Amino acid sequence: MIGFGNPGRRDDGLGPAAAERLSARSIPGVVCDADYQLAIEDALACARHDTVIFIDAARGLRKPFTFTKVKAAAAIPPMSHALRPEAVLAIAAELYGRAPDARLLAIRGHDWAIGEGLTEKAEKNLALALDFLEDFLKGNRP
Amino acid sequence: MARKITIEPVTRVEGHGKVTIHLDDAGKVTQSRFHIVEFRGFERFVQGRPYWEAPVLVQRLCGICPVSHHLAAAKAMDVIVGVGPERLTPTAEKMRRLMHYGQMLQSHALHFFHLCAPDFLLGMDADPAIRNVIGIIALNKDLAVQAVLMRKFGQEVILATAGKKIHGTGAIPGGINKNLSPDERDQFLKGAPPLTIDQMIAWSQAAIELFKGYHGKNKDVVDGFAAFPSNHLSLVRKDGALDFYHGVLRAVDAEGRKVLDDMDYQDYTNFIGEEVRSWSYMKFPYIRSLGKSAGWYRVGPLARLNTCDHIPSPLAQKEFEVYKAYTAGKPNNMSLHTHWARLIELLHSAEVIKELLLDKDLQGTKLVKKGKKVPEGVGVVEAPRGTLFHHYRINDDDQITMANLIVSTTHNNEPMNRAVHWVAENVLAGKPEITEGMLNRVEVAIRAYDPCLSCATHALGHMPLEVVLRDSRNNILQRKVR
Repeated sequence: MIGFGNPGRRDDGLGPAAAERLSARSIPGVVCDADYQLAIEDALACARHDTVIFIDAARGLRKPFTFTKVKAAAAIPPMSHALRPEAVLAIAAELYGRAPDARLLAIRGHDWAIGEGLTEKAEKNLALALDFLEDFLKGNRP
Repeated sequence: MARKITIEPVTRVEGHGKVTIHLDDAGKVTQSRFHIVEFRGFERFVQGRPYWEAPVLVQRLCGICPVSHHLAAAKAMDVIVGVGPERLTPTAEKMRRLMHYGQMLQSHALHFFHLCAPDFLLGMDADPAIRNVIGIIALNKDLAVQAVLMRKFGQEVILATAGKKIHGTGAIPGGINKNLSPDERDQFLKGAPPLTIDQMIAWSQAAIELFKGYHGKNKDVVDGFAAFPSNHLSLVRKDGALDFYHGVLRAVDAEGRKVLDDMDYQDYTNFIGEEVRSWSYMKFPYIRSLGKSAGWYRVGPLARLNTCDHIPSPLAQKEFEVYKAYTAGKPNNMSLHTHWARLIELLHSAEVIKELLLDKDLQGTKLVKKGKKVPEGVGVVEAPRGTLFHHYRINDDDQITMANLIVSTTHNNEPMNRAVHWVAENVLAGKPEITEGMLNRVEVAIRAYDPCLSCATHALGHMPLEVVLRDSRNNILQRKVR
């Protein structure tokens, strides 16, 4: 599980917060990681696991969170040293011949200004998303 | 009809950038500007916080080089707690150096393999869909594997010295909060192949040979692209050696004459000014003695290899001598040679990491020193992209009352604008249609400086590349989204 985002940008820190809190739940077989952004070395981590769950903040969602399958896509997004989950998976596939079952947990954020701490609304969305994810990780959901 | 070309945001740099090029009715460039986001919001954000929190808080400025901000802030706080950067314990200073050189290694490797190599190996006119690391995999899988593993190695060094990726707490005012255990040391020296420091050195050497091979076949492009004279500024060690962690400030002009030398950065406001221009959020620093119009300068790998006298590691020094011989010992003012300089620094970083790993001081137990507190401090490091200043004042309640940060990308503001202008005049002007390859040349010019425009969020669905062509009445003539 890789949560990514910048905790210095309010709700952009939803991904790292999810990683931290899920880690505290100590679910067997689940490895949690957090970083500001995804980069090429995350492809190596993806290649070493059967299932990979990316967690990121999202704007524009109408629901508290979405949970979708992610497929490898060779197109590198037009920005920066950072990669999208699809590109990380594409690198894992091309370099290591591995295609883990990958999902994206996108959690709705509301405030992206410089500052620390999640908004109240984002906290609620995070709690709902993590309960759902824990169920999934324990095999209670498809 | 007069035209205006906008590229927003610039791809493959940190954060958001926007390029605007104005062409007149004849297709001649009338103006070109590179706009970027700014950091002042973060400087306000740290005000009121306890000074000891700064080294952790400022890491959030940047997703790609948080360690630079961490260390620059820690060095400023060393001054504030009355210890100073030159009185740390050997263990503290060497742990910080290991952290910093680990960061340089992973950042330089990422830039070369992920951002620069696609332009060189696949060509500036290659389809943007493959002009990236995926394209590199198709062309040279071994190179891509090296990229991943060099990044991984550098990140592991940072983890071993700074702690967590997001909330790294390694450097604290007056020292460091941990040493390097023998197990951690051995992991880097003789761990599972190929993740060993000797392999990193070998791959760094191979990357330099790769660049030199490309250069040998493409000298016109590499030497002529966005080349222009400038001043150059960086830290150097007291004896003139290259040093990324600590030293004195030195600046040379385009001919190599020293315009600043042996300057204590605690007094930087006496010799560095920051000009405000109405059209940009970001300031334009300059050397006061040369004035606003002539005092602008470059920072980063190109500048560092122009200001230093030698590199204190044998393999990088050897490469440095080849590099310097190419310009007959004069400063190198060729923008794309920044990549060559960056790779020599990559090799130097790997050599220094090995030297540090073999130093028993890293297992020392004296981690922190104390001194008499003062209300103000400045910390400076050479970040991957160039010189980074952190300046703080605190009050009697230990709260930060003032923060001034001059980041590498701000120092390079004017040079990047000059580089964009070069492309506008030499590539875009007079052409009936703007192609993807032409636009990419604008980005290649900017990418040479590896700008870090971070502080933009990256929430899902919020990072398009938009290219807009407008006429003089601001009507959209052409629009592209990548």
